[in-house]
Parts: sequence; C-alpha cells; structure tokens
Amino acid sequence: MSKYLSNSKRYKYPLPIHPLDNLPQLLPHNPVSWLYWLYCYISSTNLLAKKIDIEVTNGHRITVPGEEDMLYLWNNGFFGTARLSRSEPTWKARTLARLGIDESFNALEKVTEKRRHQRLAFKKERRKFEAIRLDLRKKGVLESEILDKERQFLRELRDQELILDSEDYQVREEDDELLLNDGIVNLEVLELMPVEAIFLTFALPVLRPSVAEIAELLLGPKPTYTEIHNLITQYVAYHHYRSHGWCVRSGIKFGCEYLLYKRGPPFQHAEFAVMVLDYKDTPDYTWYSGIARVIGGAKKSLILCYVEPLLQKEEIMSLWDQKDFEQVFASHRVGEILYRRWVPGKNRD
Amino acid sequence: MEKDEEFDHATAKLDSDEEGDELAQDWSQMAKVTVSQNVIPKRGEKDFEPDGTNVQELMLFRAKKAMFDSLSGAIRGSVVKNLVKAYYVPEKHMAVVPHPKGTFMHTMGRVDSSGCCWLEVYEFVYLAERGTVTPYWQNSGREDDEFDVPLSVEDTYSLFKSQSELDEFFVYAHLKRLGFIVSSINQNVPHWSSYLEVSSITGEQRVYRYFTSLFRLIPTIPHFSIYDPYHFYFRRYTSSGQIYRSLNLLIPSYSAPRTVQELCNENADSYQETTDLKAWKISFNVWKPRTNFRKKSPGLPDFQIVVYNKNESGSSFPTYPEIRNIFQRLNYQFDFLTDGNMNDVQVANKIPQLNNEYKITKKEDESPRTKENKKNCKTYPPHIQQLRRLKKGYRSFVLAVMDDGLISFVRLSESDFGSENVWYEPNAFTKKSSKSQRPKRRPKKRSEKTPE
Repeated sequence: MSKYLSNSKRYKYPLPIHPLDNLPQLLPHNPVSWLYWLYCYISSTNLLAKKIDIEVTNGHRITVPGEEDMLYLWNNGFFGTARLSRSEPTWKARTLARLGIDESFNALEKVTEKRRHQRLAFKKERRKFEAIRLDLRKKGVLESEILDKERQFLRELRDQELILDSEDYQVREEDDELLLNDGIVNLEVLELMPVEAIFLTFALPVLRPSVAEIAELLLGPKPTYTEIHNLITQYVAYHHYRSHGWCVRSGIKFGCEYLLYKRGPPFQHAEFAVMVLDYKDTPDYTWYSGIARVIGGAKKSLILCYVEPLLQKEEIMSLWDQKDFEQVFASHRVGEILYRRWVPGKNRD
Repeated sequence: MEKDEEFDHATAKLDSDEEGDELAQDWSQMAKVTVSQNVIPKRGEKDFEPDGTNVQELMLFRAKKAMFDSLSGAIRGSVVKNLVKAYYVPEKHMAVVPHPKGTFMHTMGRVDSSGCCWLEVYEFVYLAERGTVTPYWQNSGREDDEFDVPLSVEDTYSLFKSQSELDEFFVYAHLKRLGFIVSSINQNVPHWSSYLEVSSITGEQRVYRYFTSLFRLIPTIPHFSIYDPYHFYFRRYTSSGQIYRSLNLLIPSYSAPRTVQELCNENADSYQETTDLKAWKISFNVWKPRTNFRKKSPGLPDFQIVVYNKNESGSSFPTYPEIRNIFQRLNYQFDFLTDGNMNDVQVANKIPQLNNEYKITKKEDESPRTKENKKNCKTYPPHIQQLRRLKKGYRSFVLAVMDDGLISFVRLSESDFGSENVWYEPNAFTKKSSKSQRPKRRPKKRSEKTPE
C-alpha cells in the first residue's frame, strides 16, 4: 500500500493547518527575489484546499467518514479515534493484510495480538508447572527444592524464545461482502471528541461546519447553563494544553480527562494525565486517591486542571447566545495542581 | 530515547503512586535482632486458592510467629533513675516537665525562664506513649509529688479536646516515629524573612503593580484574532510555532511565582482577594532527619503539613482557591529558589562555561545538604529541564489525609503549564549547537517505539 515513511516525515506537522514552509529563499541583494517571495507569500495560504466533512451518528457523536480525511487528521496532530482500531485508522490496511491482498503492513494491533499470544502460551506453561509443584508438595518435597525447580522452569521458559507463527491469512465467510473490484469497502470512521470538533472549527478552520453548528449538534438548540458550563470547562482545558504544544488525547483508558503527549503517541509515552475540575469542585478523597493510583500505576503524573470562570453566569449565557465563543473561552482561567502521593520513607534524605 | 532514560534516572527518587512503593515491614528481620532463631525465607508469590496442602498455612504461621516472638521476646522497661516526670496542666492545655533531661529536648518542647520544659499535648502523649516521660495530672496549686495523679496511656488520649487535635497527634507521632523532626508552626515567623533583604515595597512599585493588575483584567485579545473566519485570508503563518503562539493567547492561566520578587508581589496582591475563604491551618513544619538541628535556629523546614480528616462532616478536600490560599502562606525551603536547575537565568549563565553539558558543577556553600545540592547541580539540556519543572512544580505542601486512623500523604504542588511551550521545532536544536561550539555528537537514531 505505502512505502515506509519515517515518523518525523509522516508526522511533520503538529496541526492540520500547515505553515508555509516552502517559500523561496529571500536574498537581500536581489530585488527580484523579493518580488518572487512576495508573490509566493500572497498567492499561498495556510487554509486547507477543501474542508473536511463530518457526519453525526447516534445523536451526538461526531465522526469523519472520509478515508483520506481520517488519515489526514491522524497524521497532523493525532485527532480522533478510529472506531475499529486502537486509535490510528488502520482497519482497512489490517484487513487487506489479513485477506492477503496487501501484506506490506504491520499494524500495532498485530503486535498487541502477538504479545497476547505469548502471554497465553506462558500461562499455559505455568499451569503445567503448577500441577507439577502441587504434586511435589503432596509428596512432601522441601519448599526450597521446589523453589529451585521453579527458578529453573522460569529460566528455561525465558531461554526458549517463544516464536509464534500466527496465521496471517484468515479468510472468513463474511469477507465476501467486503470485497470490491479492487480492494475492500471501508467500514471505519474516525470519531472526534466534542472538544476536538470545537477546536477544529473554532480555533483552526478544518471542519466544514461552523462552531455554532457544532455547539448545537453537541448540546441541542436550547442548552442549560450546566451543559454549557461543562462543555466550556472541558474545551478551555483542551485548548490550553493544545495551544502550548501538547498533543492532547482522551484519557479514558486511565480514568482521566486527557493525556498529554509530547509530539504524539508514536514518539513518546504520555507524560501527564489531566483531570479537569471546576475551581470549586471538591470530590471525596477516595476519588482523588483512586485516580492517582491508576495514573501512578501507568507511570504518569496527575495534573488537576481547575477552570475558573471570570464572568457571571448570566454574562456567559448572553455571550454564548450571541455566539461570541472567543469571549466565552477567554473569560475562563486555568490553574494547575500537581497531585502526587507523598511517601515519607522516600523523602527522608 | 537515551535522554529520557537519563531523566527517569534523575527523578527516580521522586514519589510515585505505584504499589511497590509501600515500604513493608519484614518482621523476620526484626526477630533476628531480638531472639536468635531460624530465619524465615522471604515470602514469594501468593497462591490464589487452597491447593490441598498445608504449605501456605505453614508459611503464614511462621510469619505470625516471627512477629509475635519479636514482640514478646524483647526485654522492655525503663530505668527508674532516668524517669522524667511530666505534668499535664489543664489551665494551659499543655504539659510541663520541671526537671527536663534526655535527647527529646533537642527537637521538642519549649524551655521557659525557670528551666521548665513546656510540651504541647501531642508531644506529651507521644513521649508518654514511648515511655520517655511518665505522665501525671497536675493538681492546681500543689507542688508536692505525693498528690499527683499518674495517668495511663488511655487517660492521655482523653486529653485531646477535638478530633482535629487527635488527628494532628496521629500525624505528628507517625512522622516522629519515622525519624522526621516535626514542630508546630510558629505563627510569629514573618513570611519570606529568610529570602528577602528588602521586603518593603515602595509606593512607586505599588502604583506600577496596580496598573499592571488593571491590564491583566483586560483580556489580551488581538483585534483581528485567529478565530475570525476570515483571518486566514489575510494572515500567513510560516511556522507551526507562530500558529501556536497566536492560539495560546486565548486562555488566561495562573502562573506560578518562580523568584523571590514574584513571590512578594503575589503575596501583596493576595490579601485583598481572600475574603470568605476557608483558611486551612498549616499544622506542622517538618525537617528531614539531621543531627545538627537546633531548636533556637531551626532554619526553614523541608515540608509543611496540612491535616485533613476525610470523614469529618462539613470538611471536604480543599478547593482550588483554598489550595492557592495555602500556597500563599507557605514558608519553607523552596527548592525552586535554591536549585540551580529550576532557574533558567542561572543555568543560562552556567552553560557557556562548560564544555560538557553533563558536567557536575561545584557549589561553594557548605550547607548541611551540599551532597544533595551536588546531585541536583547536574545541568540538563533545556527540554529535560522543562520536563523537570513541569513534573516537580513550584510551591507545594503535604496534605495528610486521615481516614479512620489511617494516614495517607498527598503532595500538592503548583504547576505551570501556561508558561511552558512544548511544541516540536525541528530546527531549534541544530541551530543552537552550531552557535555554541559544542563537541559534535552523533545524531541519535530515534527508536521506533510502540507506546500504548
């Protein structure tokens, strides 16, 4: 399907609006180059040639159906989550590989599957050994001897590199329905978080509908203040981190609001997990500690991001009704608290 | 990512929320010290269900026995000659030691002009519990020993007048047993006294600050903003950084003070805004264990503790304004002021002098923590420093959460993502390295990772 493209080339741009980086060189002593540069500057634009279409499914879910659009949003800022893949829209490529039509592809999902197989094989081996151990125990063999045997078993297991030749082509009956003349039907769509959809319309002109339309899609025609407030709180936090260069993705798998990646998921693990709160929120301590345990287990730092409205409720409502989203978002302030467990034994010297 | 590993190594000492962090007590080691007996092997993986043999029960029995033996076998008691009597004085809700002696005097109590040592109730109970002092109830007006009523440990516990006093005692005792030096906050100590030479703010500065704060109120939005639908027809961006810069003007954020001056300014500002806010009590100053501690001139503490009982009705986890209010009242050894790494200016001055950026710089001051300073003085490349700033935060305090007698500690630090930009600029590194003539390093091959 595609030639190998290095990550730094493929994910060259951190945002879907590209900067003009192909302007000709400006030579100070050559006026012609000035003119040419000026011509290039004026004639080119940061805007996309064609804005991306969206679809709304299941009421409030905003999805991008276009195959190229999905990839474009993923490659330029890692927006959205593909419905049939882990995050990156790879379903089609994987299916092509599975059906033996195009084998050049090696998706992350495949790696995960391989690891799962390995783990399963390990468990099988371990179960076998546990039976042996029980047998030994019943015979009254000393614990230390059993421990030695266990070590030996583990060593052996490590040595015999588990090479799994999983079947690459698995054709199922229903695959016939997928096939087209040349290739297969694309079933996958890319789902955008509400805040991503707002960012891609309000902050950057990428999606076709306007912000007001997106807001109405998300909240309905007559939203209450609480609904508006919740959405604003989420968006303000999202915009704050995005605009300072973080790649912000949903943190649902770690029970938090957002994960902050530097550059993006293929480059580094997420360093921070963000929990967005209203500035007056005080959930029970168990809530904090539960989240902190999950985040800590994944070796990330937990950030409590507090959003404080600077205007009164009525003012925000009237700004929202006037569709002055810029003012609405600008009248919220963000403050951050780093939440970390303190272990006395580790802080003594 | 070699650099990141290095960073991980540098921050490995920081706290984390992992399970493995619990420092479990191994009683078999304890038993070895008290009574000589067979050592129990360290317990391994648990079996998940009974397997029909008694191996698990045997192991559990041995572990319990080790614990029991170490407690029952040890010789306990105190030497009568060394007994120190302490009297609880109900009128003052404090305890007095008329003839104080012992090492506890180094870190606890306050000695008055007559040579008596006055203890807070939690100090009194702690010492009584340890057997360092013998607790008595002082009958008012009487000085003779015969009529003093000795107190049991149970009695001493009843001296606490409220749940919060009891909670404070638990936190105090817990930290003391771990070897920390703990003292209550002396409210008379002025803020920033230790950092500031000129603490008074001139009128000129005040006017200036007034004006800047006025400007801060007006949202800084350019007239023809990026959010206008026609913006991109007029404006061209030639780098991603430019786009980010025009985007990040929108959301205002609290920035953390990083220098003494900023700390002062913030403090002067804050007194007007805090009106009907719950002012949390900062209960304790905590110093790391050290031998050269002096009660008279203890220096700034290493941590400050706020106690919070999660089950008490009417109290809840501090809100953001409350946390900020606590931050403003903190007065401890801020490591972002002393740590060279945290301060950009200092580091920027240092770097050109070094031909190797990983060289360890020496510091002249011979403070008790020079060793630690040396460790921290490693200079890191800017992006690692930035990550350190983000991960470490600035001012922080320790919140001791009490839950039915269980204490868990949480460190809340103020972080500042609004002042740090992390977008990737492909040319930034190469430009810098060509300017300052550092020895060329081979470009590292970025390993293709598959992070979750």
